Amino acid sequence: MLPKIIERDDLRAFVEALLADNVVVAPIRKGEKYVFSEVETFDEIALDYNISLLSPKKFFYPQIETVLKFKIGDRPESQAITEASPVIIFGIHPCDIAATWLLDEVFKEDPADPNYLEKRKKAVLIGLNCAQPCDEFSFCRDMGSYNVEEGFDLMLTDLGEKYFVEIGSKLGEEILVEGAHFRDATSGDLKDRQAYQEKKETNFVKRIPYDTKFLPEILEESYDSLVWDAIAKRCFSCGSCNIVCPTCYCFNVTDEVAASAAEGERKRVWDSCQLAEFTEVAGGEVFREERSSRLRHRFFRKGKWLLERYGKLGCVGCGRCDRNCLVKINSVEVYTQLAGEPVQ
Amino acid sequence: MTVEEKDRAAAIFKPETGRIVAARMLTETEKFFRVVLDHGGPLGHKPGQFVEVSIFGIGEAPISICSSPTQEDSFEMCVRNVGSVTNAMHQMGAGAEIGLRGPYGNGFDMEAMKGRDVLFVAGGLGMAPARGVIKYVLDKRHDFNIVTILYGAKNPSELLFKEDLEEWQARPDCDFHVTVDRPDDSWKGNTGVITTLFRNISNIDARNAWAVVVGPPVMYKYVILEALSIGIPESRILCSLERRMKCGVGKCGHCQISNVYVCKEGPVFTYSQIKRLREGI
Amino acid sequence: MKPKVAFFSFTSCEGCQLMFLNLEDELLDLLGLVEIVNFREAMKEVLADEYDIAFVEGSITTHSDIEEVEDIRKRTKILIAFGACATIGGINAIKNFQPLDDVRKYVYDRDWDKIDTVPTMSVDQVVDVDCYIHGCPVDKKEILDVVTSVILGKTPRVPDYPVCVECKLAENVCVFDKGLVCLGPVTRAGCSAICPTFGNKCLGCRGIISDPNVNAEKDLLAERGLSIDDILKEFRMFDGLSEVSK
Ligand SMILES: Cc1cc2nc3c(=O)[nH]c(=O)nc-3n(C[C@H](O)[C@H](O)[C@H](O)COP(=O)(O)OP(=O)(O)OC[C@H]3O[C@@H](n4cnc5c(N)ncnc54)[C@H](O)[C@@H]3O)c2cc1C
Ligand code: SF4
Ligand code: SF4
Ligand code: SF4
Ligand code: SF4
Ligand code: SF4
Ligand code: FES
Repeated sequence: MLPKIIERDDLRAFVEALLADNVVVAPIRKGEKYVFSEVETFDEIALDYNISLLSPKKFFYPQIETVLKFKIGDRPESQAITEASPVIIFGIHPCDIAATWLLDEVFKEDPADPNYLEKRKKAVLIGLNCAQPCDEFSFCRDMGSYNVEEGFDLMLTDLGEKYFVEIGSKLGEEILVEGAHFRDATSGDLKDRQAYQEKKETNFVKRIPYDTKFLPEILEESYDSLVWDAIAKRCFSCGSCNIVCPTCYCFNVTDEVAASAAEGERKRVWDSCQLAEFTEVAGGEVFREERSSRLRHRFFRKGKWLLERYGKLGCVGCGRCDRNCLVKINSVEVYTQLAGEPVQ
Repeated sequence: MTVEEKDRAAAIFKPETGRIVAARMLTETEKFFRVVLDHGGPLGHKPGQFVEVSIFGIGEAPISICSSPTQEDSFEMCVRNVGSVTNAMHQMGAGAEIGLRGPYGNGFDMEAMKGRDVLFVAGGLGMAPARGVIKYVLDKRHDFNIVTILYGAKNPSELLFKEDLEEWQARPDCDFHVTVDRPDDSWKGNTGVITTLFRNISNIDARNAWAVVVGPPVMYKYVILEALSIGIPESRILCSLERRMKCGVGKCGHCQISNVYVCKEGPVFTYSQIKRLREGI
Repeated sequence: MKPKVAFFSFTSCEGCQLMFLNLEDELLDLLGLVEIVNFREAMKEVLADEYDIAFVEGSITTHSDIEEVEDIRKRTKILIAFGACATIGGINAIKNFQPLDDVRKYVYDRDWDKIDTVPTMSVDQVVDVDCYIHGCPVDKKEILDVVTSVILGKTPRVPDYPVCVECKLAENVCVFDKGLVCLGPVTRAGCSAICPTFGNKCLGCRGIISDPNVNAEKDLLAERGLSIDDILKEFRMFDGLSEVSK
């Protein structure tokens, strides 16, 4: 589908048209940071946000989600809950779009997970390109997610007075028609887009001193590395790195009972492989008891195991894990050290 | 769509209902259950698979199916009381209803074992999953060659399925040996750890035999070593691993070892696979 | 028969008992499940002397407290330590860092040497505790969870991981990013990170997790300009009885 153009001044009208009969979520300010949240007006949207605290995955895979309602007693009964309502996610950055591909693979794998897929199906992704890295933590260039060609319905690139609009799906096309503020891109527009891209390529630098296609091999060689013990010394096992990660998908399942003790709900809640109880079984055995083995598990998942399983790296380089780690455990540093290279 | 159809489309967390038709204590801590599914049909499992038992308000627990698929009208479980869900099950008797998801996991590849010698080595509660396979093999006895069963428990009171043990002891077409670590006064059989039973194995064609090894984590290393030393190839030593499980369907990540999910690609692995997993045993 | 429930209060502000009464919406349902036979906040007389569930609030600070709680232990099947004072000693443990006689003089002035006092103890330092409801004050949801769990025969789940987990789930801006310090990385979760959610630091009221990285926390606080004394003050606010405060 051929790309379109919308003038900067028309963007407001387009978004307002979306707001008129859809639930729209977009990045808004929260203190000094940003979060994706439902918006009612165009002006709430922080178009210049760098990165959100949690990724928009929370709209198809909520932090806490009821999956079953049940009745307790002699005749137990239950009902699966897979509710989903349509949502437009406006302003999602390339890395978070790339992360969505991976989650799709995970939850599509047989047996498919309707709780995720129903919500995902009803979510429209309107992307917003990044002209430069969000801050010193991102390494999306290394992970190849700073540019995305698919996975969105629409993708907006800010070319100053106008936005370049790539259409990624039939649905995206339909939204455009509704908006009606768009014109076909001319060869002049394409040139401007090209210039943007050239500039972007120089703005984004690689930070890991090798091509990440070698990550699986480097990790394979590093299973017994002391780097894991070194970072474990300062790790809190606080799980922040997992909870903020757009590609993490592990969950716990718990039953919550009403005060009547006669009914309740089964909920799934995001979980973290950095917590000791993640692998604890009855009797108290913990299969990854050492902090170092839990850290190794996380990095191996990101750089090797998910790639082997789903054909995609488990990390998009958004840097959220590192940005939120209070003790400065840093993926780029870890991957650099593992290869025996000096950390910058 | 009716509610039920919708539930089925949304299947992964939705248990079906089963009714306990028989329940009795096997030992002080293990209870036996026979269950019939509400829909009346068979569970359709393979030996070595497990179900997620659901007690609403308390939670779920993965439990091995300890009966053979050749028994179609019902299936059986043997549950050790160790925590919330298992304790709730222990409070239940015939007539009670439970939630069930599954069968899950890969189970044992019975086709591959056809025509070969099969050596079973079960320790403690490992007899629960092992029993399902043993019963299957004995029910289809002519499909398999020499069948040897080694079973070890801490003490005589912890031996599971005593009637089955007697039957296996009596059968001329299977070679059954049992041992306990700590005998009591009435015990007349073998004493010592399970590896001491290996000297009783006779006549098996080790290079073509399969070993089915199920037991507590500490047992694996020693038993695998014995199995290798009598000449069974790494790729024909099968172990069933235990991990924390929350979903049973390869989503929640709890049971992951390296790039496999124990609930999905396992719980049965060959020793050559386990070696590659590194954190396996 | 409905389980008999009793409430007892030792040294505390009795705010946790109030939290129970504040359950408004759920209280009636709960009262349908249990029979309350002793409640210092709400009832005058004692109606039974055998209990199924005893909620014990407050720290143990006198010799008579010790005797009383031992007596309660004998009369109850399940003993629940209720609130920070009971589960970890809480605020009351601050006195352990001053000579006991000074505390008595300060608190009781002239008659100080007639007053019976021992160093502050959590309930489990004196008797076996079956179940903990942490927090200062306790969280309503957790009260519900524990009561329904006990009724259903399930072991209530007390998290043993840091507050940060729940803080991230709530998508809060970390208070370290706002120039405050926080005990969240070593404090037991379960409160839905209520303090950081309202922009405040975690004071550690639910106690320290069982495998804390104390050195990392101390380094982190020192990096933010806290002296050793300041750091200990942070820990001693609620966790005076814990190793981390030594
Ligand atoms: C493939 C497989 C087969 C099993 N087969 C049997 C069997 O035949 N008989 C039997 O008695 N036990 C079996 N177990 C162990 C059984 O699942 C646990 O004892 C049970 O989950 C404990 O649950 P609980 O609620 O009683 O204990 P709690 O300590 O209250 O556990 C809380 C939760 O933690 C998880 N969990 C705890 N321990 C385990 C564990 N060992 N494995 C997986 N998840 C765990 C569960 O989600 C459980 O609901 C099996 C485990 C696996 C993985
Ligand atoms: S990590 Fe890269 S793609 Fe993601 S927001 Fe930052 S700059 Fe954009
Ligand atoms: S965020 Fe940092 S301290 Fe917390 S678990 Fe992850 S690596 Fe460890
Ligand atoms: S591992 Fe870190 S950098 Fe990679 S996707 Fe997750 S949060 Fe982003
Ligand atoms: S505010 Fe406190 S609890 Fe929340 S993430 Fe930061 S350190 Fe952890
Ligand atoms: S955030 Fe900390 S101080 Fe606040 S309630 Fe939770 S544990 Fe207590
Ligand atoms: S139990 Fe959830 S992935 Fe295996």
